[in-house]
Amino acid sequence: MTLLVLSMMSLVLFTVYVREDETGPLHTVQLGAAEVLQPVRSVSGAVAGPLNSTKESVEGAFAKGGDLEKLREEARKNQELAAQASRLKRENDQLRELLNGQREFYQYGPLAEVVAPIGGQFTDRITINVGTKDGVGSQQPVVVGNNTLVGRTTSKVTDHTAEVMLVTDQNFRAGVRIVPPAEFDPASGELAPAVTEEETSYGEGLLQTGWEDYLGVGFVDLDARTEKGDFVVTSGRAGDMESLFPPGLLVGTVESASSQDIEQYKKIVVDPSVNLDDLEDVRVIVDW
Amino acid sequence: MDQWAILRAAAAIAVAAAMDAVVAPYLDFGWFSPKFTILAIVFAASGLRHLQGILLGFFGGVLLDALGGGLFGVGAVGGLIAGAVSVRYGDVMTRGAARFTLSVLAGIAVAAYDLVQLAAYNLLGLEVPSLLGYTFSGMLPDAFLNALLAYLIGGLLLRTIRKDGSR
Repeated sequence: MTLLVLSMMSLVLFTVYVREDETGPLHTVQLGAAEVLQPVRSVSGAVAGPLNSTKESVEGAFAKGGDLEKLREEARKNQELAAQASRLKRENDQLRELLNGQREFYQYGPLAEVVAPIGGQFTDRITINVGTKDGVGSQQPVVVGNNTLVGRTTSKVTDHTAEVMLVTDQNFRAGVRIVPPAEFDPASGELAPAVTEEETSYGEGLLQTGWEDYLGVGFVDLDARTEKGDFVVTSGRAGDMESLFPPGLLVGTVESASSQDIEQYKKIVVDPSVNLDDLEDVRVIVDW
Repeated sequence: MDQWAILRAAAAIAVAAAMDAVVAPYLDFGWFSPKFTILAIVFAASGLRHLQGILLGFFGGVLLDALGGGLFGVGAVGGLIAGAVSVRYGDVMTRGAARFTLSVLAGIAVAAYDLVQLAAYNLLGLEVPSLLGYTFSGMLPDAFLNALLAYLIGGLLLRTIRKDGSR
Protein backbone atom coordinates (compact mmCIF):
# COMPACT_ATOMS: atom_id res chain seq x y z
CA MET A 1 0.00 0.00 0.00
CA THR A 2 2.77 2.42 0.98
CA LEU A 3 4.62 1.49 -2.15
CA LEU A 4 1.58 2.28 -4.26
CA VAL A 5 0.98 5.63 -2.58
CA LEU A 6 4.60 6.68 -2.97
CA SER A 7 4.59 5.56 -6.62
CA MET A 8 1.57 7.74 -7.20
CA MET A 9 3.29 10.62 -5.44
CA SER A 10 6.30 10.19 -7.73
CA LEU A 11 4.03 10.34 -10.75
CA VAL A 12 2.35 13.45 -9.38
CA LEU A 13 5.76 15.07 -8.87
CA PHE A 14 6.72 14.21 -12.44
CA THR A 15 3.45 15.52 -13.85
CA VAL A 16 3.60 18.75 -11.87
CA TYR A 17 7.20 19.27 -12.91
CA VAL A 18 6.56 18.93 -16.63
CA ARG A 19 3.34 20.98 -16.51
CA GLU A 20 4.61 23.89 -14.45
CA ASP A 21 6.65 26.75 -15.86
CA GLU A 22 10.10 27.77 -14.65
CA THR A 23 8.62 29.73 -11.72
CA GLY A 24 6.80 26.66 -10.39
CA PRO A 25 7.68 25.19 -6.99
CA LEU A 26 9.67 22.18 -8.20
CA HIS A 27 11.69 24.23 -10.68
CA THR A 28 12.30 26.77 -7.93
CA VAL A 29 13.63 24.03 -5.67
CA GLN A 30 16.05 22.87 -8.38
CA LEU A 31 17.14 26.40 -9.21
CA GLY A 32 17.69 27.15 -5.52
CA ALA A 33 19.78 24.00 -5.17
CA ALA A 34 21.81 24.97 -8.25
CA GLU A 35 22.46 28.40 -6.74
CA VAL A 36 23.51 26.91 -3.41
CA LEU A 37 25.74 24.29 -5.02
CA GLN A 38 27.45 26.73 -7.36
CA PRO A 39 30.47 27.45 -5.08
CA VAL A 40 30.98 23.74 -4.47
CA ARG A 41 30.72 23.04 -8.18
CA SER A 42 33.26 25.78 -8.91
CA VAL A 43 35.74 24.17 -6.53
CA SER A 44 35.10 20.68 -7.89
CA GLY A 45 35.46 22.03 -11.42
CA ALA A 46 38.91 23.36 -10.61
CA VAL A 47 39.92 20.10 -8.97
CA ALA A 48 38.49 17.99 -11.81
CA GLY A 49 40.70 19.45 -14.54
CA PRO A 50 43.27 16.63 -14.47
CA LEU A 51 40.45 14.12 -14.02
CA ASN A 52 38.86 15.29 -17.26
CA SER A 53 42.08 14.63 -19.17
CA THR A 54 42.23 11.13 -17.74
CA LYS A 55 38.57 10.60 -18.59
CA GLU A 56 39.12 11.64 -22.19
CA SER A 57 42.09 9.27 -22.45
CA VAL A 58 40.05 6.39 -21.05
CA GLU A 59 37.14 7.16 -23.37
CA GLY A 60 39.49 7.30 -26.33
CA ALA A 61 41.10 4.01 -25.42
CA PHE A 62 37.75 2.25 -25.07
CA ALA A 63 36.21 3.86 -28.14
CA LYS A 64 38.97 2.90 -30.54
CA GLY A 65 40.15 -0.32 -29.01
CA GLY A 66 43.49 1.17 -28.07
CA ASP A 67 44.74 1.83 -31.57
CA LEU A 68 48.20 3.09 -30.66
CA GLU A 69 49.17 4.37 -34.06
CA LYS A 70 46.01 6.37 -34.38
CA LEU A 71 46.57 7.88 -30.96
CA ARG A 72 50.13 8.82 -31.90
CA GLU A 73 48.86 10.45 -35.05
CA GLU A 74 46.28 12.34 -33.01
CA ALA A 75 48.95 13.42 -30.56
CA ARG A 76 51.05 14.81 -33.42
CA LYS A 77 48.06 16.64 -34.78
CA ASN A 78 47.23 17.97 -31.34
CA GLN A 79 50.74 19.33 -30.94
CA GLU A 80 50.45 21.11 -34.26
CA LEU A 81 47.04 22.41 -33.33
CA ALA A 82 48.31 23.59 -29.95
CA ALA A 83 51.01 25.63 -31.65
CA GLN A 84 48.52 26.98 -34.12
CA ALA A 85 46.03 27.72 -31.35
CA SER A 86 48.65 29.62 -29.41
CA ARG A 87 49.37 31.83 -32.43
CA LEU A 88 45.69 32.29 -33.16
CA LYS A 89 45.01 33.17 -29.55
CA ARG A 90 47.54 35.99 -29.70
CA GLU A 91 45.96 37.24 -32.91
CA ASN A 92 42.54 36.85 -31.44
CA ASP A 93 43.46 38.86 -28.35
CA GLN A 94 44.77 41.65 -30.56
CA LEU A 95 41.68 41.61 -32.74
CA ARG A 96 39.40 41.43 -29.75
CA GLU A 97 41.10 44.46 -28.31
CA LEU A 98 40.47 46.26 -31.57
CA LEU A 99 36.87 45.20 -31.70
CA ASN A 100 36.40 45.70 -27.98
CA GLY A 101 35.13 42.14 -27.80
CA GLN A 102 31.84 42.88 -29.48
CA ARG A 103 30.30 42.06 -32.78
CA GLU A 104 28.13 44.73 -34.25
CA PHE A 105 24.38 44.32 -33.74
CA TYR A 106 24.80 41.71 -31.03
CA GLN A 107 24.34 42.51 -27.39
CA TYR A 108 26.39 40.22 -25.21
CA GLY A 109 26.06 39.30 -21.57
CA PRO A 110 29.23 39.49 -19.47
CA LEU A 111 31.97 36.95 -20.01
CA ALA A 112 30.87 33.80 -18.20
CA GLU A 113 32.88 30.96 -16.76
CA VAL A 114 31.80 27.38 -17.11
CA VAL A 115 31.10 26.25 -13.56
CA ALA A 116 30.51 22.56 -14.11
CA PRO A 117 29.01 19.98 -16.40
CA ILE A 118 25.57 18.67 -15.55
CA GLY A 119 25.30 14.93 -15.44
CA GLY A 120 22.65 12.92 -17.21
CA GLN A 121 22.62 10.01 -19.59
CA PHE A 122 20.49 11.70 -22.20
CA THR A 123 21.72 15.26 -21.92
CA ASP A 124 24.88 17.25 -22.57
CA ARG A 125 24.68 20.43 -20.52
CA ILE A 126 26.81 22.75 -18.46
CA THR A 127 26.28 25.46 -15.86
CA ILE A 128 27.71 28.95 -16.34
CA ASN A 129 28.11 31.65 -13.72
CA VAL A 130 25.86 34.35 -15.16
CA GLY A 131 22.13 34.65 -14.68
CA THR A 132 19.17 36.99 -14.69
CA LYS A 133 21.07 39.63 -12.69
CA ASP A 134 23.47 39.83 -15.64
CA GLY A 135 20.69 40.21 -18.15
CA VAL A 136 20.75 36.58 -19.23
CA GLY A 137 17.43 34.89 -19.94
CA SER A 138 16.22 31.55 -21.15
CA GLN A 139 16.55 30.31 -24.72
CA GLN A 140 19.44 32.60 -25.66
CA PRO A 141 22.44 31.62 -27.82
CA VAL A 142 25.71 30.91 -26.06
CA VAL A 143 28.92 31.53 -27.96
CA VAL A 144 32.66 31.28 -27.59
CA GLY A 145 34.48 34.39 -28.75
CA ASN A 146 32.19 36.56 -30.80
CA ASN A 147 30.29 34.17 -32.94
CA THR A 148 31.05 30.49 -32.44
CA LEU A 149 27.87 28.85 -31.29
CA VAL A 150 28.24 26.27 -28.53
CA GLY A 151 24.68 26.01 -27.20
CA ARG A 152 21.74 27.86 -25.76
CA THR A 153 20.43 28.60 -22.31
CA THR A 154 17.57 26.44 -21.08
CA SER A 155 14.70 27.56 -18.86
CA LYS A 156 16.84 26.96 -15.78
CA VAL A 157 18.31 30.40 -15.20
CA THR A 158 18.81 31.69 -11.65
CA ASP A 159 20.08 35.05 -10.44
CA HIS A 160 23.70 34.00 -10.88
CA THR A 161 23.71 30.78 -12.89
CA ALA A 162 22.31 29.49 -16.15
CA GLU A 163 22.06 26.01 -17.59
CA VAL A 164 23.35 25.69 -21.14
CA MET A 165 22.27 22.96 -23.54
CA LEU A 166 25.31 22.26 -25.73
CA VAL A 167 25.01 21.73 -29.46
CA THR A 168 25.93 18.08 -28.87
CA ASP A 169 22.87 17.51 -26.68
CA GLN A 170 20.53 15.13 -28.49
CA ASN A 171 17.67 17.58 -28.04
CA PHE A 172 19.48 20.60 -29.44
CA ARG A 173 18.21 21.84 -32.78
CA ALA A 174 19.20 24.84 -34.87
CA GLY A 175 18.45 25.86 -38.41
CA VAL A 176 21.77 26.02 -40.27
CA ARG A 177 23.08 26.55 -43.76
CA ILE A 178 26.26 25.40 -45.35
CA VAL A 179 28.48 27.99 -46.95
CA PRO A 180 31.72 27.56 -48.88
CA PRO A 181 34.88 29.04 -47.34
CA ALA A 182 34.94 31.78 -49.98
CA GLU A 183 31.70 33.21 -48.68
CA PHE A 184 32.29 33.21 -44.94
CA ASP A 185 34.88 34.78 -42.71
CA PRO A 186 34.96 32.73 -39.50
CA ALA A 187 36.93 35.41 -37.63
CA SER A 188 34.39 38.15 -38.12
CA GLY A 189 31.35 36.02 -38.76
CA GLU A 190 30.58 38.03 -41.87
CA LEU A 191 28.78 36.29 -44.69
CA ALA A 192 30.06 37.60 -47.98
CA PRO A 193 27.78 37.88 -51.01
CA ALA A 194 27.76 34.76 -53.15
CA VAL A 195 31.00 34.52 -55.07
CA THR A 196 30.31 31.12 -56.57
CA GLU A 197 27.79 30.38 -59.29
CA GLU A 198 24.42 31.79 -58.40
CA GLU A 199 22.64 28.67 -59.58
CA THR A 200 24.44 26.46 -57.09
CA SER A 201 22.26 25.22 -54.23
CA TYR A 202 24.06 24.85 -50.95
CA GLY A 203 22.80 22.74 -48.12
CA GLU A 204 20.38 24.01 -45.58
CA GLY A 205 18.98 21.91 -42.78
CA LEU A 206 18.72 21.19 -39.11
CA LEU A 207 21.73 20.85 -36.83
CA GLN A 208 21.33 17.89 -34.50
CA THR A 209 23.25 15.16 -32.73
CA GLY A 210 21.91 11.68 -33.32
CA TRP A 211 22.32 8.56 -31.21
CA GLU A 212 25.09 7.51 -33.59
CA ASP A 213 26.94 10.14 -31.58
CA TYR A 214 28.01 12.62 -34.21
CA LEU A 215 27.02 16.20 -34.79
CA GLY A 216 25.32 16.45 -38.14
CA VAL A 217 23.04 18.43 -40.37
CA GLY A 218 19.80 16.70 -41.19
CA PHE A 219 17.28 17.26 -43.96
CA VAL A 220 19.80 18.50 -46.53
CA ASP A 221 18.62 17.86 -50.08
CA LEU A 222 20.51 15.27 -52.07
CA ASP A 223 21.22 17.73 -54.87
CA ALA A 224 22.70 20.37 -52.56
CA ARG A 225 26.37 21.10 -53.12
CA THR A 226 28.20 20.35 -49.88
CA GLU A 227 31.88 19.62 -49.57
CA LYS A 228 34.33 18.81 -46.85
CA GLY A 229 35.65 22.02 -45.32
CA ASP A 230 32.51 24.09 -45.93
CA PHE A 231 31.36 26.15 -42.99
CA VAL A 232 28.17 25.38 -41.10
CA VAL A 233 26.51 28.57 -39.85
CA THR A 234 23.14 29.35 -38.36
CA SER A 235 20.57 30.38 -40.91
CA GLY A 236 18.43 32.43 -38.55
CA ARG A 237 15.37 30.40 -39.33
CA ALA A 238 14.01 26.89 -38.97
CA GLY A 239 11.84 26.13 -41.94
CA ASP A 240 9.49 29.07 -42.25
CA MET A 241 9.85 30.06 -38.62
CA GLU A 242 12.35 32.40 -37.06
CA SER A 243 15.00 30.53 -35.12
CA LEU A 244 16.27 31.15 -31.58
CA PHE A 245 19.61 31.99 -33.14
CA PRO A 246 20.64 34.96 -35.23
CA PRO A 247 22.03 34.15 -38.68
CA GLY A 248 25.77 33.80 -39.19
CA LEU A 249 26.87 32.07 -35.98
CA LEU A 250 29.60 29.58 -36.77
CA VAL A 251 29.01 26.01 -35.64
CA GLY A 252 31.82 24.13 -37.34
CA THR A 253 33.02 22.75 -40.63
CA VAL A 254 31.75 19.89 -42.72
CA GLU A 255 33.82 16.83 -41.91
CA SER A 256 32.13 14.58 -44.43
CA ALA A 257 29.17 14.69 -46.77
CA SER A 258 27.80 11.58 -48.33
CA SER A 259 24.63 10.57 -50.05
CA GLN A 260 23.06 7.36 -51.18
CA ASP A 261 20.27 7.09 -53.69
CA ILE A 262 18.22 5.09 -51.27
CA GLU A 263 18.29 7.94 -48.74
CA GLN A 264 16.10 10.99 -48.93
CA TYR A 265 18.70 13.36 -47.52
CA LYS A 266 22.45 13.75 -47.39
CA LYS A 267 24.42 12.55 -44.42
CA ILE A 268 26.53 15.45 -43.24
CA VAL A 269 28.92 15.16 -40.31
CA VAL A 270 30.07 18.39 -38.68
CA ASP A 271 33.33 18.99 -36.87
CA PRO A 272 32.58 21.58 -34.15
CA SER A 273 34.78 24.67 -34.20
CA VAL A 274 35.55 24.39 -30.51
CA ASN A 275 36.21 21.44 -28.25
CA LEU A 276 33.01 21.30 -26.23
CA ASP A 277 34.61 19.15 -23.53
CA ASP A 278 37.07 21.89 -22.80
CA LEU A 279 34.97 25.03 -22.56
CA GLU A 280 36.13 27.67 -20.12
CA ASP A 281 34.74 31.09 -21.02
CA VAL A 282 31.56 31.73 -22.97
CA ARG A 283 29.17 34.59 -23.59
CA VAL A 284 25.45 34.75 -23.96
CA ILE A 285 24.00 36.82 -26.78
CA VAL A 286 21.15 38.53 -24.96
CA ASP A 287 19.82 40.51 -27.91
CA TRP A 288 20.38 41.08 -31.59
CA MET B 1 17.99 -0.56 14.81
CA ASP B 2 18.34 2.64 16.83
CA GLN B 3 17.48 6.13 15.73
CA TRP B 4 21.13 6.98 15.23
CA ALA B 5 21.37 4.27 12.63
CA ILE B 6 18.47 5.81 10.70
CA LEU B 7 20.10 9.21 10.94
CA ARG B 8 23.39 7.78 9.70
CA ALA B 9 21.58 6.16 6.79
CA ALA B 10 19.83 9.44 5.91
CA ALA B 11 23.11 11.35 6.18
CA ALA B 12 24.85 8.85 3.91
CA ILE B 13 22.11 9.27 1.31
CA ALA B 14 22.30 13.06 1.56
CA VAL B 15 26.05 12.97 1.01
CA ALA B 16 25.56 10.60 -1.93
CA ALA B 17 22.95 12.92 -3.49
CA ALA B 18 25.37 15.83 -3.17
CA MET B 19 28.07 13.70 -4.81
CA ASP B 20 25.67 12.86 -7.64
CA ALA B 21 25.15 16.56 -8.21
CA VAL B 22 28.75 17.69 -7.87
CA VAL B 23 31.15 14.82 -8.55
CA ALA B 24 29.24 12.40 -10.78
CA PRO B 25 29.11 14.72 -13.83
CA TYR B 26 32.91 14.47 -14.03
CA LEU B 27 32.68 10.67 -14.01
CA ASP B 28 30.12 10.55 -16.79
CA PHE B 29 31.28 8.14 -19.50
CA GLY B 30 28.48 8.45 -22.01
CA TRP B 31 25.70 6.21 -20.80
CA PHE B 32 27.62 5.08 -17.75
CA SER B 33 27.92 7.21 -14.70
CA PRO B 34 28.03 6.32 -11.03
CA LYS B 35 24.65 6.53 -9.30
CA PHE B 36 25.85 7.23 -5.78
CA THR B 37 22.39 7.94 -4.37
CA ILE B 38 20.86 4.72 -5.67
CA LEU B 39 23.80 2.73 -4.30
CA ALA B 40 23.59 4.48 -0.94
CA ILE B 41 19.83 3.84 -0.72
CA VAL B 42 20.27 0.13 -1.40
CA PHE B 43 22.92 -0.20 1.29
CA ALA B 44 21.18 2.11 3.77
CA ALA B 45 17.69 0.64 3.43
CA SER B 46 18.79 -2.97 3.77
CA GLY B 47 19.07 -2.78 7.52
CA LEU B 48 15.82 -0.92 8.07
CA ARG B 49 12.26 -1.99 8.57
CA HIS B 50 10.03 -2.16 5.51
CA LEU B 51 8.32 1.22 5.87
CA GLN B 52 11.49 2.99 6.98
CA GLY B 53 13.45 1.62 4.02
CA ILE B 54 10.83 2.56 1.48
CA LEU B 55 10.38 6.06 2.87
CA LEU B 56 14.13 6.55 2.99
CA GLY B 57 14.39 5.45 -0.64
CA PHE B 58 11.60 7.74 -1.78
CA PHE B 59 12.87 10.85 -0.01
CA GLY B 60 16.44 10.07 -1.01
CA GLY B 61 15.22 9.98 -4.61
CA VAL B 62 13.40 13.29 -4.16
CA LEU B 63 16.64 14.77 -2.83
CA LEU B 64 18.43 13.44 -5.90
CA ASP B 65 15.82 15.13 -8.10
CA ALA B 66 16.16 18.42 -6.23
CA LEU B 67 19.96 18.54 -6.35
CA GLY B 68 20.53 16.82 -9.66
CA GLY B 69 18.52 19.04 -11.96
CA GLY B 70 17.01 16.22 -13.99
CA LEU B 71 13.34 15.45 -14.45
CA PHE B 72 11.62 15.62 -11.07
CA GLY B 73 9.99 12.36 -10.11
CA VAL B 74 12.46 10.11 -11.92
CA GLY B 75 14.82 10.03 -8.95
CA ALA B 76 11.86 9.54 -6.62
CA VAL B 77 10.75 6.42 -8.51
CA GLY B 78 14.35 5.22 -8.77
CA GLY B 79 14.91 5.73 -5.03
CA LEU B 80 11.63 4.03 -4.23
CA ILE B 81 12.56 0.98 -6.29
CA ALA B 82 16.02 0.89 -4.73
CA GLY B 83 14.54 1.09 -1.23
CA ALA B 84 11.89 -1.52 -2.02
CA VAL B 85 14.25 -4.16 -3.48
CA SER B 86 16.68 -3.57 -0.67
CA VAL B 87 14.19 -4.09 2.19
CA ARG B 88 12.45 -6.94 0.36
CA TYR B 89 15.50 -8.99 -0.55
CA GLY B 90 17.69 -7.72 2.25
CA ASP B 91 15.64 -9.99 4.52
CA VAL B 92 16.80 -13.16 2.80
CA MET B 93 20.48 -12.34 2.77
CA THR B 94 22.76 -14.84 4.36
CA ARG B 95 25.23 -13.66 6.90
CA GLY B 96 28.60 -12.68 5.40
CA ALA B 97 27.25 -12.26 1.88
CA ALA B 98 25.66 -8.88 2.52
CA ARG B 99 28.13 -6.93 0.42
CA PHE B 100 27.78 -9.16 -2.61
CA THR B 101 23.99 -9.43 -2.41
CA LEU B 102 23.58 -5.69 -1.94
CA SER B 103 25.85 -5.05 -4.92
CA VAL B 104 23.64 -7.23 -7.10
CA LEU B 105 20.58 -5.40 -5.78
CA ALA B 106 22.29 -2.09 -6.50
CA GLY B 107 22.83 -3.19 -10.10
CA ILE B 108 19.15 -4.10 -10.40
CA ALA B 109 18.08 -0.79 -8.87
CA VAL B 110 20.34 1.15 -11.26
CA ALA B 111 18.91 -0.76 -14.24
CA ALA B 112 15.39 0.11 -13.07
CA TYR B 113 16.37 3.75 -12.59
CA ASP B 114 17.83 3.87 -16.11
CA LEU B 115 14.64 2.42 -17.57
CA VAL B 116 12.46 4.87 -15.65
CA GLN B 117 14.61 7.70 -16.93
CA LEU B 118 14.33 6.46 -20.50
CA ALA B 119 10.56 6.14 -20.16
CA ALA B 120 10.27 9.64 -18.69
CA TYR B 121 12.22 11.24 -21.53
CA ASN B 122 10.20 9.22 -24.01
CA LEU B 123 6.94 10.37 -22.41
CA LEU B 124 8.00 13.96 -22.88
CA GLY B 125 8.69 13.38 -26.55
CA LEU B 126 12.41 14.05 -26.17
CA GLU B 127 15.06 12.28 -28.21
CA VAL B 128 15.91 8.89 -26.72
CA PRO B 129 17.70 5.84 -28.10
CA SER B 130 15.75 2.70 -28.98
CA LEU B 131 14.89 0.47 -26.03
CA LEU B 132 16.75 -2.54 -27.42
CA GLY B 133 19.88 -0.58 -28.26
CA TYR B 134 19.84 1.22 -24.93
CA THR B 135 19.30 -1.98 -22.97
CA PHE B 136 22.43 -3.62 -24.34
CA SER B 137 24.73 -0.66 -24.78
CA GLY B 138 23.48 1.58 -22.00
CA MET B 139 21.44 0.05 -19.24
CA LEU B 140 23.19 -3.30 -18.76
CA PRO B 141 26.77 -1.94 -18.77
CA ASP B 142 25.64 0.85 -16.45
CA ALA B 143 24.02 -1.62 -14.07
CA PHE B 144 27.03 -3.93 -14.15
CA LEU B 145 29.57 -1.17 -13.54
CA ASN B 146 27.49 0.35 -10.77
CA ALA B 147 27.16 -3.07 -9.16
CA LEU B 148 30.94 -3.38 -9.35
CA LEU B 149 31.32 0.06 -7.82
CA ALA B 150 28.84 -0.90 -5.13
CA TYR B 151 30.90 -3.99 -4.32
CA LEU B 152 34.09 -1.93 -4.12
CA ILE B 153 32.68 0.76 -1.82
CA GLY B 154 30.11 -1.49 -0.17
CA GLY B 155 32.28 -2.28 2.82
CA LEU B 156 32.80 1.38 3.55
CA LEU B 157 29.09 2.09 3.13
CA LEU B 158 28.10 -0.72 5.44
CA ARG B 159 30.59 0.39 8.08
CA THR B 160 29.37 3.99 7.80
CA ILE B 161 25.71 3.14 8.03
CA ARG B 162 25.86 0.35 10.55
CA LYS B 163 28.19 0.28 13.46
CA ASP B 164 28.58 -3.49 13.44
CA GLY B 165 29.31 -3.49 9.65
CA SER B 166 27.32 -6.61 8.95
CA ARG B 167 23.80 -7.80 8.86
